[in-house]
Amino acid sequence: MKIALGMILPPLLVIAIALGIHAGVGNYDNGYWINQLTVIGIAIIMAVSLNIVNGFTGQFSIGHAGFLSIGGYFAGAILYYGSIRLFDTPPVAGILSFTLPFERFSEGAAWFTTGDLFFIAVCIGSGLLAAIVGFVVGLPSLRLRGDYLAIVTVGFGEIVRVLIESSNPVVKGRSLSKTPQAIRDANFHDLATGLGEASGFNFIPKYGSLFWVYLFVGLTVLVALRLKYSTHGRAYLSIREDEIAAEAMGIRSTRYKVQAFMIAAFFAGIAGALTASSQGTIFASELAFMKSLEFVVIIVLGGLGSVSGAVIAAIVLTYLPELLQAETFQRYRLIIYSLILILVMILRPRGLLGTRELWDLFRRKKGLAR
Amino acid sequence: MKKPTIAQLQIAGVTKRFGGLTAVDDFSLSIQTGQLHGLIGPNGAGKTTCFNLLTGVYAPDSGSIQLNGKRLNGRRASAITAAGIARTFQNIRLFKDLSVLDNVRVACHLRSRHTLLGALIRSPMHYRDEKQIRLHAMHLLDRFGLAARMDETADNLSYGDQRRLEIARALATDPSILLLDEPAAGMNPNEKSALKGLIQQVLNDFPIAILLIEHDMNVVMDLCQQITVLDYGQIIATGPPEEIQKNEKVIEAYLGAPAHSVEEVVKHDLQQEA
Repeated sequence: MKIALGMILPPLLVIAIALGIHAGVGNYDNGYWINQLTVIGIAIIMAVSLNIVNGFTGQFSIGHAGFLSIGGYFAGAILYYGSIRLFDTPPVAGILSFTLPFERFSEGAAWFTTGDLFFIAVCIGSGLLAAIVGFVVGLPSLRLRGDYLAIVTVGFGEIVRVLIESSNPVVKGRSLSKTPQAIRDANFHDLATGLGEASGFNFIPKYGSLFWVYLFVGLTVLVALRLKYSTHGRAYLSIREDEIAAEAMGIRSTRYKVQAFMIAAFFAGIAGALTASSQGTIFASELAFMKSLEFVVIIVLGGLGSVSGAVIAAIVLTYLPELLQAETFQRYRLIIYSLILILVMILRPRGLLGTRELWDLFRRKKGLAR
Repeated sequence: MKKPTIAQLQIAGVTKRFGGLTAVDDFSLSIQTGQLHGLIGPNGAGKTTCFNLLTGVYAPDSGSIQLNGKRLNGRRASAITAAGIARTFQNIRLFKDLSVLDNVRVACHLRSRHTLLGALIRSPMHYRDEKQIRLHAMHLLDRFGLAARMDETADNLSYGDQRRLEIARALATDPSILLLDEPAAGMNPNEKSALKGLIQQVLNDFPIAILLIEHDMNVVMDLCQQITVLDYGQIIATGPPEEIQKNEKVIEAYLGAPAHSVEEVVKHDLQQEA
């Protein structure tokens, strides 16, 4: 009974929270909050997943946005080209998604349709593709000890960006009505390379909704926490602490490092799919090295290895620029980021929460009172 | 665990060179369950290199290492641990930021049967493994007098406790051969005598063989049944403690060659000139 509860209750809770946010914010006419919460949710997925590599296994990956790009462009291509080639027109989604905001919430709309199924398959597909790329990138560099991963991931992120920026324009007709026919006529090569050059991939059908974003936020957090409190996660942590000692305890370090890297890439790929499908567009140029660094800053600030710390820092650092008047703040953002990093290094050298979780702090207090 | 009741580690002619330096030269040793074998020698003699060869940190250039007839040289450290050789480190290598309990639980990972997916969906197998791992870890901590400090981070333990935790952690991998690298280093006389009792007790209670590197001659001479002495990477003597204590080569290695008289030196020089 207890086991069944531990197994099923948390996923149900995740679905409930996602539904709650979607119902509370998603179905009113408040585009600003939908947008803000989407951006924050995606930042949480990115931070928590990156934390599995940087915080749990102690390897330093600084090209996480590259996986977001891969997932995003893959999802974009499938949702835009694929939906027309497969279904003739993008399949209609249910209440849980919105293709064009709000109109789906009209009376009598279905909860879950082919569109939703198609979308969720694309999300998982984006994640899997990113994970496979993560395996290819991670295996050679993670076999070595030390900081090789940092160098390789920086290069990886930039390669992804440059490749996408040198792609062809998006395939479309002269007018909106001629577009489906143009896509049907195009060959596979045109579609695979038509990723929108440096100007970004536009026209992606908007399946993404607060429900899907927060469903995956919840899943990412759940996976990270369940990892941390299991023997597999402890194997990751032991590699961070001392790789030689971990090996001497029978932990196959390369295997676990690659595994962690692939899990992180998987969720970053999903974050990419959510970005593309929520905003209807994705820009590789925005997903360069500085973007990757933002996620590193988030997890360093939150405390490497702390899941709740990463969530809190992701919320704060994503919403802060908004709060401080985007226009004026944007110019000094990088300066402020570096200042925050330096200040954290001085005041809290192990981040907001260190390797602990939010609830550990309460437990500690209780222990002291006794 | 389905292990043969008597495990045997056989090392034959193992050699390791670092560039021009032969750190370990033709090292051979055989040890089986129930034995406590000492490995001593002056600083830099190659003792720790021996351990590193046995545990897969380095691969030997030649020779063979066999556990129960299974060849181990050149295999990864984790595979060697899984095969049944566990070790402690000369300079303590605990997982400093993890709790005392988690340090031991990491070493219990080899016991878990469930997959990563099982852990992520919290399968019944996961709960069963976790429960068993926790029981095993607590049992070991209890035995080593560390149970009360299980939630403490390893870094906060006293030096003696850290040494003991390292031994508990190594035992958690269910080894048939345990390698202890200077467990008494930095301990005071009280801690040392307690450690002696502990090692003896471990040898009695667990079905293992212990290979011990130690500089403290009291500890080595009292505990070990057999001692191997290394100097400049070569074995200069093997035998029971009483023999080793009288062995001239050993005394020479530790204290230097006996001084020659002036007469001898002059005679030697004259011979050279002639």
